Amino acid sequence: MRPENYEAQRQPPSNEYELNFGPNHPGIEGNYALKVKLHGDVVLEAKADGGYLHRGFEKLMEQRLWIQNIALVPRICVPDPSPMELCYSMAVEQLCGLKVPKRARWIRVMQLELSRIAAHLFTFGGHAATTGMYSTMYWGVADRDLLLDLFEEFTGGRVYSIYNIPGGVRRELPDGFLQRVTETLDYIESRLADYDNLFFKNQVFVKRAKGVGVMSREQALAWGVTGPNLRATGLAFDVRRDDPYLVYDQLDFDIPTEENGDAWARTLVRRHELMQSIRILRQVVEALPDIHGPIRAPIPNPLAWNVPAGETYTRVESSKGELCYYVVSDGGPKPYRVHVRGPSSMHAVQVLEKLSVGSRIEDIAQTMFSLDACPPEVDR
Amino acid sequence: MSSINQIPVIEAKKGNPLARVFDELVRFCRSRSLFILHYCTGCGAIELPPAMTSRFDMERLGIQPMVSPRQADILLITGYVSIKTLKRVILTYEQMGSPKYVIGICSCTVNGGMYWQSYATAKKLDEYMPVDLYIAGCMPRPEAVIAGLQQLMDSIHAGKANSWEDYYRNYDYYLGNQQKLFGDNWQTPTDVIAEAKHYNLLSKGTLGVHTRLLEQHQQPLEALEMRLGHNLKEPTE
Repeated sequence: MRPENYEAQRQPPSNEYELNFGPNHPGIEGNYALKVKLHGDVVLEAKADGGYLHRGFEKLMEQRLWIQNIALVPRICVPDPSPMELCYSMAVEQLCGLKVPKRARWIRVMQLELSRIAAHLFTFGGHAATTGMYSTMYWGVADRDLLLDLFEEFTGGRVYSIYNIPGGVRRELPDGFLQRVTETLDYIESRLADYDNLFFKNQVFVKRAKGVGVMSREQALAWGVTGPNLRATGLAFDVRRDDPYLVYDQLDFDIPTEENGDAWARTLVRRHELMQSIRILRQVVEALPDIHGPIRAPIPNPLAWNVPAGETYTRVESSKGELCYYVVSDGGPKPYRVHVRGPSSMHAVQVLEKLSVGSRIEDIAQTMFSLDACPPEVDR
Repeated sequence: MSSINQIPVIEAKKGNPLARVFDELVRFCRSRSLFILHYCTGCGAIELPPAMTSRFDMERLGIQPMVSPRQADILLITGYVSIKTLKRVILTYEQMGSPKYVIGICSCTVNGGMYWQSYATAKKLDEYMPVDLYIAGCMPRPEAVIAGLQQLMDSIHAGKANSWEDYYRNYDYYLGNQQKLFGDNWQTPTDVIAEAKHYNLLSKGTLGVHTRLLEQHQQPLEALEMRLGHNLKEPTE
């Protein structure tokens, strides 16, 4: 199976050779490929070969109504879809000058943090599987399923919730839902000690991940790295705190950082972030019963909705990093231009290419999963 | 290239009283040990880990993921296939050993789904390869995936899941659609016509306009040259 830009070369008289890593490979995350040049098992050069998941989102969104795009955007990043719909909704709200009711903003925070926990658990599972620890994968995926049950209950969808619309959220929380959120959070918190013993403190994992894919803070900033990967280099930057949206300025949470910038540090940052998300969710669960009022602002007939002309740029903190939308309207029923700045397109292409060099071929999976790249978002 | 023709085909002896019993046994065993190729083409793949792991547990049905196409039985097309992916999917499908089964998961494999107007995706999967079973939904729940797999097991047991024969019988049609998408000089490393002869499945639809076009453009496949150890012969300093 050869990529179309592949040209067989007569090998030089040495042990250097080229290898196609992926797309059909368990060590790679999703449908993505790397072309690696190796000497023995040491990587000399890596070239990302994406495009297997390209669907042309930015073009598709120009051809659909403003409200129809809500159903399209979560599909950009499959494991963590909620920030996608929120960021798009925020852009449309800014263009229209819509004011989101207070209750809707709190519910949105709850949805985002639940989605973050689910995405992190899924990443731990995938990452552990690449080191051969399949129990962690079985646990992570099974615990994530509890959160998907919550999503199904309050949004109606297991994976793609399509819950945010410009102006607020689609429906009210079911009765007794906050109680079930608390129960699930208690359960996940009680499981974290087991995860520590099985995965995070496991010497099999620590020795594989420590010192792999090291990047310095300067490199991270120069390469456009955001999110947990940036915080693993010691810089406490989080959009939730430094450019607050929704009600994050009223919530109390820490920004966990690590200093080493290697695969182990990146995984640990995610593990601490999971705790912070649980902390945020507990505050939301406590505050929500006292917040009454509508859950969405009145919007015009969505099928004949001409959003005022203008352009806007919104950003949120997704579980992978900083997610931004640049939306331009010409006053028509459809967007004029939508650009998605996803975190993974930096992480999986330029960063992964550079961090893989010098490591051994079996460590590519470590680097890729610790960067938590999301191939559907790279290709879009 | 036609070396596969030289392998003798053992004709089943008609009228053997044990043949039916043996066939039944083979079909039963086949349906109880299925290996899914570990290739996630699209977003439907996110529901496969829950279906495989503790909660829904596909393994109790005897279904497991498998990393190499040569040993796999089921090709799961999980969602939309972009044109670049479709090339790999077809190459993978042709490499798999018969009998092989294709399941199209998500609405995107049925009619394009959400991406019906996208320039980058192939809309209908069954134009490019025969599909045994569709599991519709965006995306189908793990229960639906498992129900679909159980249905496939039943139809294998009943001897009805024979779509792989269709690929050999109507190769010209599938090749034509592939050529329409990938260009006239599309060629795969597998000699499908020779395989069709091998399985005694050569029929009216196997050869046609498109296979003639393939013959015109076909280039002999070169074996990959692996030259390792050149400097091993040299004395080390």
